[in-house]
Amino acid sequence: MWKNSSLCCVLALAILCLTSLICSQEIGSPGEPQNLKCIMHNLHKMICTWDVSSKGRYGQTDFCYTTSHLPPPVCIKTREKRVEIPVSESSITVSITTNSIYGAAFGTKKFAIHKKDISFVPLTPHILSLTPDFSTSTLNLKWSDNGSVFPYGLDAFWQIEILRKETMEKVTQVTYHSKLTHENTILSWNWTSDMPLECTSHYAKIRCYINVTDFVGHKDWSDWSPVEKVLGKDTEPNGSGVFPQDTVVAVGSDVTICCVHAEDQQIKRMTYGPEIYPLIHLSSRSSAIRVINASASDTSGTNVVCTLSQDEMDGTVLFVGYAPDTPQNLSCETSNFLIIKCTWKPGRPSGLYGKRRTKYSLLERISGKNVSCEVNEMNRERVCGFPVLADQKTYSFTLGVSNPIGQTESSLLVDLTQRVHPKTPEKLTVSGNSSTNVHLHWYINGSFTEIRLLCQIEISSGHSEQKLHNVSMPGGKFSTYTAQLNALHPYTKYQFRVRCSAADHFWRWSDWSRVEEHTTLEAPPARGPDVWRERSPSGSSLKIFWKPLTLSEANGKIVSHEVSCYLLDTLLEYKEVTEPSNSTEIKLGKNDCVISVVAKNHAGSSPPSKITSVELPSDNVKTERAVALGNGIYISWSSYPNVTCGYIVKWCRSSGSEPCSVDWQKFPSNTTDAVIKSALFRPGVRYNFLLYGCKSSGYQLLKNITGYMKELPPKRAPNFTVEETSSDSILVKWEDIPVEDCQGFLEGYRLSFAKGEKDALKPRLSESGNPELKVKNITDLTKKSLRILDLQGKTSYQLDLQAYTAGGVSPPNSLYVVTKEDSVGLIIAILIPVAVVVLLGVVASIFCYRKREWIKDTFYPEIPNPENSKALQFQKNICEGNKTLKTLEMNPCTPNSVEVVETQSAAPKIEDTEMMSPAADTTVPEDGSDSENENHVVVSYCPPIIEEEISNPSMDEPVGSSQVVYIDIQSMYQPQIKAEEEPEIDLVTTAGYKPQMQLPISALKIESRSATEEESDKTAGYRPQANTNAWNMDTPDSPGSVESTNENASFGSPCSINSRQFLIPPKDDEDSPKPTNTGWSFTHFFQNKPND
Amino acid sequence: MAAAETPSAALRRRDLCSRGIRLAGKMRSDVADLLDVYVERQGLDASANVAALDGVPAAAAERWGEQTESQRLLDNLAAYRAFRALLTEMLEEQRDQAGPADTALREALAAVLLQVSAFAYHLEELLRLESRGPPGEEGARPPAGPRLGLGLFERKLRGLGVLRELAQWAVRSARDLRQLSKPGPGGTAAVPAGPAESQ
Repeated sequence: MWKNSSLCCVLALAILCLTSLICSQEIGSPGEPQNLKCIMHNLHKMICTWDVSSKGRYGQTDFCYTTSHLPPPVCIKTREKRVEIPVSESSITVSITTNSIYGAAFGTKKFAIHKKDISFVPLTPHILSLTPDFSTSTLNLKWSDNGSVFPYGLDAFWQIEILRKETMEKVTQVTYHSKLTHENTILSWNWTSDMPLECTSHYAKIRCYINVTDFVGHKDWSDWSPVEKVLGKDTEPNGSGVFPQDTVVAVGSDVTICCVHAEDQQIKRMTYGPEIYPLIHLSSRSSAIRVINASASDTSGTNVVCTLSQDEMDGTVLFVGYAPDTPQNLSCETSNFLIIKCTWKPGRPSGLYGKRRTKYSLLERISGKNVSCEVNEMNRERVCGFPVLADQKTYSFTLGVSNPIGQTESSLLVDLTQRVHPKTPEKLTVSGNSSTNVHLHWYINGSFTEIRLLCQIEISSGHSEQKLHNVSMPGGKFSTYTAQLNALHPYTKYQFRVRCSAADHFWRWSDWSRVEEHTTLEAPPARGPDVWRERSPSGSSLKIFWKPLTLSEANGKIVSHEVSCYLLDTLLEYKEVTEPSNSTEIKLGKNDCVISVVAKNHAGSSPPSKITSVELPSDNVKTERAVALGNGIYISWSSYPNVTCGYIVKWCRSSGSEPCSVDWQKFPSNTTDAVIKSALFRPGVRYNFLLYGCKSSGYQLLKNITGYMKELPPKRAPNFTVEETSSDSILVKWEDIPVEDCQGFLEGYRLSFAKGEKDALKPRLSESGNPELKVKNITDLTKKSLRILDLQGKTSYQLDLQAYTAGGVSPPNSLYVVTKEDSVGLIIAILIPVAVVVLLGVVASIFCYRKREWIKDTFYPEIPNPENSKALQFQKNICEGNKTLKTLEMNPCTPNSVEVVETQSAAPKIEDTEMMSPAADTTVPEDGSDSENENHVVVSYCPPIIEEEISNPSMDEPVGSSQVVYIDIQSMYQPQIKAEEEPEIDLVTTAGYKPQMQLPISALKIESRSATEEESDKTAGYRPQANTNAWNMDTPDSPGSVESTNENASFGSPCSINSRQFLIPPKDDEDSPKPTNTGWSFTHFFQNKPND
Repeated sequence: MAAAETPSAALRRRDLCSRGIRLAGKMRSDVADLLDVYVERQGLDASANVAALDGVPAAAAERWGEQTESQRLLDNLAAYRAFRALLTEMLEEQRDQAGPADTALREALAAVLLQVSAFAYHLEELLRLESRGPPGEEGARPPAGPRLGLGLFERKLRGLGVLRELAQWAVRSARDLRQLSKPGPGGTAAVPAGPAESQ
């Protein structure tokens, strides 16, 4: 940047110097030429111009110039101020003489023209053509470079300007570079407009600059060429429409769409899809919208609608999509050497459909053959076929992909012989007349003469694994291929299927052919059956067993077994046993022989299996236990040196029930242990194994082994009974469990016991969580009884007995036992209390007898004078300690009224009182029988002024001692309100009158009728409104019981009624001791006499 | 013509008319559905104003009430033959332009085309009953040339116009057939309709 500007400065200075130099040569006299300038348009001639200072008229001018190489000057006469002279290599000396119109010289001026003083300005270029391509909005500009006048290789720069609209707004200016070739060349330049060319007029102009490298003078741009224009539709009288019409653009493009309309119309709005866009004014008849970053359109394109005035409408459809994606995974192969099938994945969808869809073509460059591919838009994988060309193995494919937005391609070079994917083999057939060999035949549609085929045959049979057999063969032309399979198994149903590929250059397997089945023929059994024999218990016959041959050994269907018995070479017995029997019996008596068993099928007989019937005697055969191991039973034995031909372990498949289904297994002589496995073994079943040793002379029983595949808990507990019960022990006895119920080797018994009644819902003892549960574990299996000690007498016990094996504990058997009663203890428990009671009775009797006088004085004095009563004296003494309490002081009392009631008439009333008043219970004397005949005199008294004094507890007095009964106020109101009497009270309470205290009904009934009426009259005028409950509240020390509360209340309240003394109980009463509350009664007195 | 009609011919005519009315009703319903699909798939405004289109028979008639039976049948037949050609063109355009998502539109268009063809055949049957037979199809095919130069947007609008007009025609045809099936005085149905019925 700085460099350019400094260069410009230098150039400017040079021009200034040149000008000053030229000017310096001027001679300012009138009529003299001045300002000589020489400009070159090409490198051959230059044009020199000058000015004449005088304004007067002058005639011809003599322009003479000379160069250093051309000494004689060349003169040119001219009437203009301009001459064209050749370009000289050296400086030119110019002499210009102006003459008057009459020929007289005005003035002469000499100039020296150096090379650097000459400017080079190319001639103005002319646009040959400006051609629009409306479909692509492209302008094509053509012009000639006039290169013929310049030497070869000069750089030419062409500045092109594109202008738009009537106002000729510059849209773009570009500089185009070219090389001059000393020939006139037509140059061409394309420009794509961002606006459809129909929208408005476009203009173009051009100028040039030729970089003459060895020219030292000033070089400049040519003048601009005349403007060429391309008129828009808005200049046409009937031109209208929305442009571009139905074009395709790439997603993300910026698109300008214009609406050209008639002069008398106006655009109301323009929409792109659903959106209204702002209008860009282009001309009076044209406006445009610009859509920035266009998004992919629907399959039917995006509508651009131009709504004009008068509800007219014009529009276009814009398709916005993607350029085609480069095809991926291009792969070509042949299945028949007729057609090459190329497949690829198209990648991202273009979003363009129908006519604008992506098109594919397959070009084979070697042959130059091109194929257009018809592909299915819906299919994700595209396929295109190309014919196989004769004598061409290598193919160079180019998959061309194009759509209106762009194009791309993908190439692949293939050797066709290495890209063979044969078609599926057809018409598979199997033939064969052998037990081990078959022939397979199949057909492949295709010409494979140029390659070898590798075919794979899959062999499957029901009782063996799948096998694959490969066979290579020369390819044929639409041929049938054959393969032979050997070493098949006889009498086996096989399934065959075939697939093929190229043998030398594997590419892909064909699909499998359909399955073909074939059964091979039978062959004689491969070996004789496995044989065992057993003598009958009587020893007279021999039972021979054999195991059936496996399918692979039988080689066919076994039809029978031949059993022969040889003594040396003499055949003693022969039997043919047909299938499916696998044993037979031979009557041998006491003889022995060698037994031979041969299996037979339709194809022949097996080799014989031989076994001797001799059984050697064995001594001291032990029985051992086997160990469960996985799903088998592990047995072991020590090595027996005499055993030369192996060991046989024989067992019964089933346990217990006869007849025994014999099974056996043979082991070589060096074996000392084995795991016997059988699918028939069941957990919890005891199996007995017999180990035989094979000796040269016969078989000898060596050992008995019992075992379980898996031990389980016993099925049930042993049955047990209680043999004996005492008050502290129980004797329990149990039975053995049958072997089949043990399900394992019995390890012991578990006896649990705890107190408990018989209850069906009770859980098992072990699950009950009973803290008193006791468990006895009996591991001595010979023990069949147990005595449980330290039990409680006459107590119910629950006993649970369980057996257990290594597999677990059986369910329990339960019993409930009640221990016997302990009679001695019972007797003692009864006798001791009786004796104590008798003793106490005797002591009490003696005491009463001795103290009878005192008792009499105390409780039954002869004269019932209260003053003489010791009891009252005693009470008085007590009261003396508390001067404030004078309730029981025997002060003289003047009764207000005394009413004497005849005892005869009063007697029934007393009964009523007793029945109705609970207080009466406490006042009835012990010898109440006397009271029935006594005459009661009811004295109602209460001193009016003096402090209350209850003179006589008349109710307690014996009838015989007095004719009168004093009923004190307290006792009158004594009947307490008890809970059961409350409803009765309520009746009174809820009547029209509502007293605040209760008068006991019993008290009213004790009074004579007149007295009751009198009392009623008395109480009719006034009813105290005091609240007994309030009184209770005022005596916080009073007992909480209802009885005591009422007792307290009744003590004060009657007095308040009759004597009007205790309307408000004294404060001191709150703190008064209990005796105040207890009042005076016989029962209380009795309680307060602890010493007596 | 109807005066000489045998009872069996009258019965057949009435039968054809009633079946034609049902067919027109079904066609009207299907074209309405097709219009919805068409507008949605072509991205058009359902309320777009489409001017009278060249080659599309207009359902509106100046003196509909004064038309004779034959005239009615001939007008209908000409219209449905034109629609058959127009719908065939639209279907081809759809096959050419539309992508896989437009299958439903193509199927609906094909279904309506089938109904239009059936209805045209139905009209031909009625005309045969009139003992004059249907005219040849030469004049009925719409000129195809000018539409090739239409822009895609114009073709979309044209399709919209065709379907709208077809819907109108379905209504008109039902009324025409109802008019035909009315027993007129003397056995003829060619009675001018009242002003309320004229369109």
